Amino acid sequence: MNVINDLLKIIGDFIAGIINSIFSFSPFLADVVTMGLAAVILCTFAALSFMGLTYVERKVVARIQDRVGPNQAGPLGLLQPLADGIKMFTKEDTTPAAADRWVYNLAPLVIAVFALTTYAVLPFAPGVVGTNLNVGVFYIIAIGSGSIVAIIMAGWGSNNKYALLGAFRTVAQLVGYEVPMLLNVLPVVMIAGSMGLTDIITQQTTLNGNPGIPFIVFFPLSALVFLISGIAETARSPFDLLEAESEIVAGFHVEYSGMKFALFFLGEYVNALAVAFVFSTLFLGGYAGPVLPPYIWLLLKAAAVFFVFMWLRGTLPRIRVDQMHNMNWKFLVPVSIVHLVVVMALMKLFVTNPAQVQANGGILVTPGVQAAILFTASIAILIGSLVIAARRARIMRLQEEAVLEQRRAENIAAVSV
Amino acid sequence: MRTDFAFVGVMLVTAALLMGVTLIAASLLRPKKPSKAKLETYECGMETVGDTWVQFRVQYYILALVFVLFDIEAILLFPIAVAFNSLSFFAVANVILFIVVLLIALLYAWRKGALDWE
Amino acid sequence: MTIQQVLFIVIALAVLGAAIFVVTTRNLFRAALMMIAAFFGIAGLFVLLDAGLFAVAQVLIYIGAISILVIFAVMLTRGMQGMVPRNSQATAAAVTVAVVFAVLLLLFGPLRLTLDLARWPVISLFAANVSPRDVGGIEWTPPGQAIPAVPDTYIADFGRSLVDLNQYLLPFLLIAFLVDVVLAGAIFIARQRRPAEIVEDRQRQAEEETEEAEAMRRAGVLPGAASLPEGAVASASDH
Repeated sequence: MNVINDLLKIIGDFIAGIINSIFSFSPFLADVVTMGLAAVILCTFAALSFMGLTYVERKVVARIQDRVGPNQAGPLGLLQPLADGIKMFTKEDTTPAAADRWVYNLAPLVIAVFALTTYAVLPFAPGVVGTNLNVGVFYIIAIGSGSIVAIIMAGWGSNNKYALLGAFRTVAQLVGYEVPMLLNVLPVVMIAGSMGLTDIITQQTTLNGNPGIPFIVFFPLSALVFLISGIAETARSPFDLLEAESEIVAGFHVEYSGMKFALFFLGEYVNALAVAFVFSTLFLGGYAGPVLPPYIWLLLKAAAVFFVFMWLRGTLPRIRVDQMHNMNWKFLVPVSIVHLVVVMALMKLFVTNPAQVQANGGILVTPGVQAAILFTASIAILIGSLVIAARRARIMRLQEEAVLEQRRAENIAAVSV
Repeated sequence: MRTDFAFVGVMLVTAALLMGVTLIAASLLRPKKPSKAKLETYECGMETVGDTWVQFRVQYYILALVFVLFDIEAILLFPIAVAFNSLSFFAVANVILFIVVLLIALLYAWRKGALDWE
Repeated sequence: MTIQQVLFIVIALAVLGAAIFVVTTRNLFRAALMMIAAFFGIAGLFVLLDAGLFAVAQVLIYIGAISILVIFAVMLTRGMQGMVPRNSQATAAAVTVAVVFAVLLLLFGPLRLTLDLARWPVISLFAANVSPRDVGGIEWTPPGQAIPAVPDTYIADFGRSLVDLNQYLLPFLLIAFLVDVVLAGAIFIARQRRPAEIVEDRQRQAEEETEEAEAMRRAGVLPGAASLPEGAVASASDH
């Protein structure tokens, strides 16, 4: 047993051993205490990474936009998250007189709880996972519904038109982008033959005769669409329509201040980090990797994905609400469906398992060849759909310009008369 | 299997407790000086007019319905995807038929303008 | 009592409480929220029944989709807030539900059930007391007998049975068509009409009602109601 590689597991087993010996009179109690402790550790990890990420994100986005970012609190502004925390704790927070008190006060709690509960199934290293559910991926997407409910609660509970409008917009966005997310997890589940996150990672390692190819090679299109819809699901820039200050003030949390606002913020960041973790797990091989210990690999991959999020946030302008819906329903969803059908056909045609060839027919290929075929197909679909979309967009733009031109000509005519 | 889910339950309870404690701690620490103006509904400094319950566009409902359609599709496809490696050609052809039928629904909604958001 | 039984009772009571709140509260939105709570509790019951897949599906479909649909529908209604909902057929509904529930309890109550997913439905409800017996693909286990454990591969089994010609392929494909029809219907009802169309519709409606009233007056059904046509026009243009 390599001490460094299995560090997390050894520490976990050690603590579990202590708890078991203390509660030796009741195994049930020992289990509950162990699970409770694990849950506390996971929640603390999520909350601490939230604090760290706010700082890192502000610094990175500032650098991208040629600013300095936080630099007053402590060296390099490193104590900024702490200062923010103190501020959040001691800031007065008001409950509007018109609000539905129960719903209004419960909403931030619900969003934070469901965001944290996502971490229950994330595998950090071999054997280090809250619980290895056999419906893992499905669970993560389903638990996201909790935040949708919380957003509606916040919008309605505030009893504010802007909050309600913002909540509705956000919910329409979140439910919409759940569809491409679900459709693009399907190919991964198909090739892994399981929804459990640990099984999906095992399929991407070189252990047990697995080929050890990350699934992003098999499904680059799925990875791309998953990333886009993941950003939209966490309502980050460029999909942060809920924060369109000029239109709907600040969206569903306009009435929130102090700690309750902080919990919404926490929910947002924890969800974004969870998407980064899930993306690394599904498409980049999770904790699998050479030389370095597994948990370091996972953190590196997740950090890389999160850096892409920050990069996009620092670079892209916010999109309009109609563009957001069109992008989803008229581009991502149809493309995902076509991709899914093609992948299903190809995976049945080119099979890697000899037993399956005997049972159901198909052509026996090595995993590398299968990956090459699927990769080519994905890229072909991507290029084809982009070409079609670009052509359509050009036609629409020309029509719009023609209408504008005509109107301008009419205006000029009217003025000159 | 239910033992697998036990941790999810524990996690829900723990997260709720931790966040609840945070909220309570904040409510003990922070000042509390409500005034009438502070507790008014925020609307850019103006007094709000009328009911919050404004009429929403039916578009939201249609989008939610299309979403339900694809949610159901996904839910049925996930178990099939798990079993995908052992399925026969015939079975996969039927799954593709299923997907295509739903794609037709999407295209219908598209043509009828239900997906437009002006 | 095992911990699972305790949990079952606690969750079941919570679901019941939430459900009662849903049907008794005057606040439509809070009713929707409590309905979500009830759905969540039912997901918990699924977990206790060893059906993790269905628990997650319950959360995804009912909390993530159906509830959102219901809340959107509630929000589409206008001026419901001040209205006190009244149901004149509450008693009839209560009696119907009680009777149906009693029948179900008599039929299935003393039996515990587990889903046997790998079997084609054989209707043998009225066969001799064979245990466990097959009823519509559901395996009924009489009380006092251990419930067979759900196999680890139940998700894959479920998936295979969905596309097996001898099992649930037909229902599976029918779902797709059913959902299509539902969507087409909703789009037809909720289609956006141009203002001119709406005005036209109203005018036609008003004219029809005027003619009707005229005809009725002429036939002597409503004697002495000379001012009725105007009233009919006014009420028609209201909606």
